[in-house]
Amino acid sequence: MASSVSSQQDQVLVEANSFARILTLNRPKQLNALSFQMISQLLELFLAYDEDPNVNLVILKGKGRAFCAGGDVAAVVRDIRSGDWRAGANFFSKEFTLNYLMATYSKPQVSILNGIVMGGGAGASLHGRFRVATENSVFAMPETALGLFPDVGASYFLSRLPGFFGEYVGLTGSRLDGAEMLACGLATHFVPSTKLPMLETTLRNVDSSDPVIISSIIDQYCEQPSLKEQSVYNRLYVIDRCFSQKTVEEILSALEREVVHRMDGWISATIQTLKKASPTSLKISLRSIREGRLQGVGQCLVREYRMVCHVMRGEVSKDFFEGCRAILLDKDKNPKWEPSKLELIADSTVHCYFSKVNDEEWEDLKLPTRSKFNLSPYAIAKL
Amino acid sequence: MDRALQRTKILTDHLFQSSPSSPAQTPSLSSNACLNYSPPELSENYAFDIKHMRKLIDGHNVEERDWLFGLMRQSKLFNPKVRGGKVFVSPDYNQSMEQQREMTMKRIEYLLERGVFRGWLTEIGEEVQMRKFACFEVLSIYDHSIATKLGVHFFLWGGAIQFFGTKHHHDKWLRDTENFSIKCSFAMTELGHGSNVRGVETVTTYDSNTGEFVINTPCETAQKYWIGGAANHATHTIVFSQLNINGTNQGVHAFIAQIRDANGNICPNIRIADCGHKIGLNGVDNGRIWFDNFRVPRENLLNSVADVSPDGKYLSSIKDPDQRFAAFMAPLTVGRVNIAVSAVYQSKVGLAVAIRYALTRRAFSLKPNEPEILLLDYPSHQRRLLPLLAKIYAMSFAANYLKMLYVKRTPQSNKTIHIVSSSFKATFTWNNMQILQECREACGGQGLKTENRVGHLKGEYDVQSTFEGDNNILMQQVSKALLAEYVAAQKRNKAFKGLGLEHMNKPCPIIPSQLTSTTLRCSQFQMDALCLRERDLLNLFVADVSQYQAKGESTERAFIMSYQLAEDLGRAFSDRAIFQTFVEAEATLAAGSLKDVLGMLRSLYALICLEDAAFLRYGYLSVGNAATVRREITKICSELRPHALALVSSFGIPDTFLSPIAFNWIDANSWSSVEH
Repeated sequence: MASSVSSQQDQVLVEANSFARILTLNRPKQLNALSFQMISQLLELFLAYDEDPNVNLVILKGKGRAFCAGGDVAAVVRDIRSGDWRAGANFFSKEFTLNYLMATYSKPQVSILNGIVMGGGAGASLHGRFRVATENSVFAMPETALGLFPDVGASYFLSRLPGFFGEYVGLTGSRLDGAEMLACGLATHFVPSTKLPMLETTLRNVDSSDPVIISSIIDQYCEQPSLKEQSVYNRLYVIDRCFSQKTVEEILSALEREVVHRMDGWISATIQTLKKASPTSLKISLRSIREGRLQGVGQCLVREYRMVCHVMRGEVSKDFFEGCRAILLDKDKNPKWEPSKLELIADSTVHCYFSKVNDEEWEDLKLPTRSKFNLSPYAIAKL
Repeated sequence: MDRALQRTKILTDHLFQSSPSSPAQTPSLSSNACLNYSPPELSENYAFDIKHMRKLIDGHNVEERDWLFGLMRQSKLFNPKVRGGKVFVSPDYNQSMEQQREMTMKRIEYLLERGVFRGWLTEIGEEVQMRKFACFEVLSIYDHSIATKLGVHFFLWGGAIQFFGTKHHHDKWLRDTENFSIKCSFAMTELGHGSNVRGVETVTTYDSNTGEFVINTPCETAQKYWIGGAANHATHTIVFSQLNINGTNQGVHAFIAQIRDANGNICPNIRIADCGHKIGLNGVDNGRIWFDNFRVPRENLLNSVADVSPDGKYLSSIKDPDQRFAAFMAPLTVGRVNIAVSAVYQSKVGLAVAIRYALTRRAFSLKPNEPEILLLDYPSHQRRLLPLLAKIYAMSFAANYLKMLYVKRTPQSNKTIHIVSSSFKATFTWNNMQILQECREACGGQGLKTENRVGHLKGEYDVQSTFEGDNNILMQQVSKALLAEYVAAQKRNKAFKGLGLEHMNKPCPIIPSQLTSTTLRCSQFQMDALCLRERDLLNLFVADVSQYQAKGESTERAFIMSYQLAEDLGRAFSDRAIFQTFVEAEATLAAGSLKDVLGMLRSLYALICLEDAAFLRYGYLSVGNAATVRREITKICSELRPHALALVSSFGIPDTFLSPIAFNWIDANSWSSVEH
């Protein structure tokens, strides 16, 4: 079995077998947060494998206790602080391009989500064909607490979760375990972590790209996990009723009405979480998920790219920088959002995030052209 | 891919498939090269910003619309089905009539709980009216039954309470209606009288001893018919009836009547029967009602125009019964506005499906071994579908104009609203049926499957040419009104003003004897041609009617006799009025790719109007010029072909609300998608 290792400071380990490629995110100390270098390397590798007839399957996993905790936002903020938001734009442009490639990939991608899967980590896995959760999986899109919004194509995959669970997960940053990921469809399989080595061994030797065959292989190691009694997924009815409301304000008042009906710690906690998040983030996130529900994955990424460029330019709100300061740098966990209240944010302000960036050199995200000849029906359906 | 290569691949695939593959595997029937579905998104470019275009043609409340689309997409109640990896929502029309009715009601309850109808009757102002229009358009894209059921509840019953009622009616009924504490209907049509509302035979008298009105169905032709909601759900209705006070008939009045109790039992002195299964709209429980000395309290008379005092005296501020009736009916135009606009959206569904299919379905090759040709690359297919696309764009702008006209209405604009809404309602709903039929045929056999929507929509929306005013009668009213304008202008020797007739004051436009491509694409020429037809037909119509009158016929009889000119004139007015809204919408745009494409669509729309037989019949176009027009149409069609996908994508109808043949129809029909 030939095995080669990447030279680029080993941030992504590459293992080549007969027909499978195993990529391991290798920054365990940073919980495998995606650096610009990792994203560039993943993009190169995925592009090469797309065309390589000797590759049937790509397996993506993380080293240590995380699959991937997100994009390396701290680095992006450092870049922007040092003067040029375009460096940040470049980061996101590459990352979103990778997300698009994964979403429309011609070969099955199997992501082993044995640990933390957040933000950019979700983007690097959930667009792929197979997502294997374990008892160690912890999923979240925590961006609204950071003054950002669920990006990396989250407006595509969150909006397609059952009912209005996507709004709930995207606005509150609520954490899901492996069983919940499977139940809502974020994961396609659940395999106990003890069985992962055997699963990998079998997948290494698979000589087919046929998703039906790959799926049945993973099925052999699957278990049916049970939801915890307190699982949020058992509260879908309340979530649907509240998070389907038209505006963030109406979602909050719907939750408050529910609290009146029954004293429920979970609802009060949800209200508190929403009240702590950046009001601007909540508003743009909700609109992004709502628009994303009706768009293809490419359109979602193009729109999110517009949004993220506005966030980085900080012309409308500087919440992203404040959030990073409070959560990642100073760690006082006490961000001062501006505007500080939902009702202070006009629709026209929200609208700004969805319009083109007013800068001569800026242009919309240009996604790579996908060949119409080798797209799978799975990918076609996402266009 | 190189043609030879592609052919080799096809042959290889065939050969490999016929050779015995490993027996353990199910033989893979994955499509080979000749049958690959190629998503049009990957080969067609957007030359303009489709979001901008959508905003222009949807006109308002875009975010509201998307929220509502999302609400429906995410609920199992809206019957989501996965086809070709995508979710499609559409009612299960294979359910029985009873089941469809129950589902319609459940969907309404779901939307109610989500706050979709919040403020629909309890808020006032332009904003909520536009919001209502937008929601209604979106709901009508999902299903005509849900839209109709809500239309009856909010626009007919709700509108009648708002406009025919006074403060105590508003206080008592509007909030309960908005939150569906009561379920409402509108009992106007009878077996014997539809469009002729003034002829209804239901009779109401007043009993001053008890202070009640007594409603009766005196004969079988007086039974209320087609009453939406009456068969199953409605607890209340508004009864249109002759009001007979002390032996004097005061004309048609409207009364609130409770026909079922809160438990759904039919009230005493009411008989109800079902209208039965229909060619469409089976989610609406249309019923028939008979009243047998049915009593309602005096305050149930909707008394904005006329009232009856407790001791039984008839009181009205409008003495002339004709005017009283007109004032009474004026607010009902909102129904026509709704119908006109929703017809536009059904055509959009049809065209989006048919054009997307035509961009992925191939048929016949020119030479052996060549790939087959895309349907939309046939000039004939372009000629079938693209002029309809131009028509839809024109109708979209006209619909927006009509909505604004209605929302910004004043007592002075009532006449204009009546005429324009009548003309657009008839024209759009007729166009809709024609467009859907063409789209159905353009989809071939696939158009016949209910899940593909296009064909089925015909049955669902056919009723639009009949309800809220029969199309032919509405168009007669348009011509009559134009004649009245003409007579008024002549009598007072004053210039034409209003209804867009100002062109009558100018010199008669002249059509060049030899039309060129440049002239044909010039909006001034296009407008001149449409005005010329309208002007001349109006003159002819006036002359024709007066000729009959000169022979001693009554005015009414003269109108009936001149029906052919009246029809031509009605169409001439509509086409010109629609065209005008297109020109105005185009004028709001800065130069650029969007404006260029709209310019082409505008020209195409104008030129298909010029193909109306009237242009040759009355000699506005020479035979030679008519041929030039025809040639130019095919030319514009070929120029629009590259924009076809962008133009239907701009409709903003989410994929979920189109149908499987609009997307990966091969995968949607693959063996693996069969439930086994």
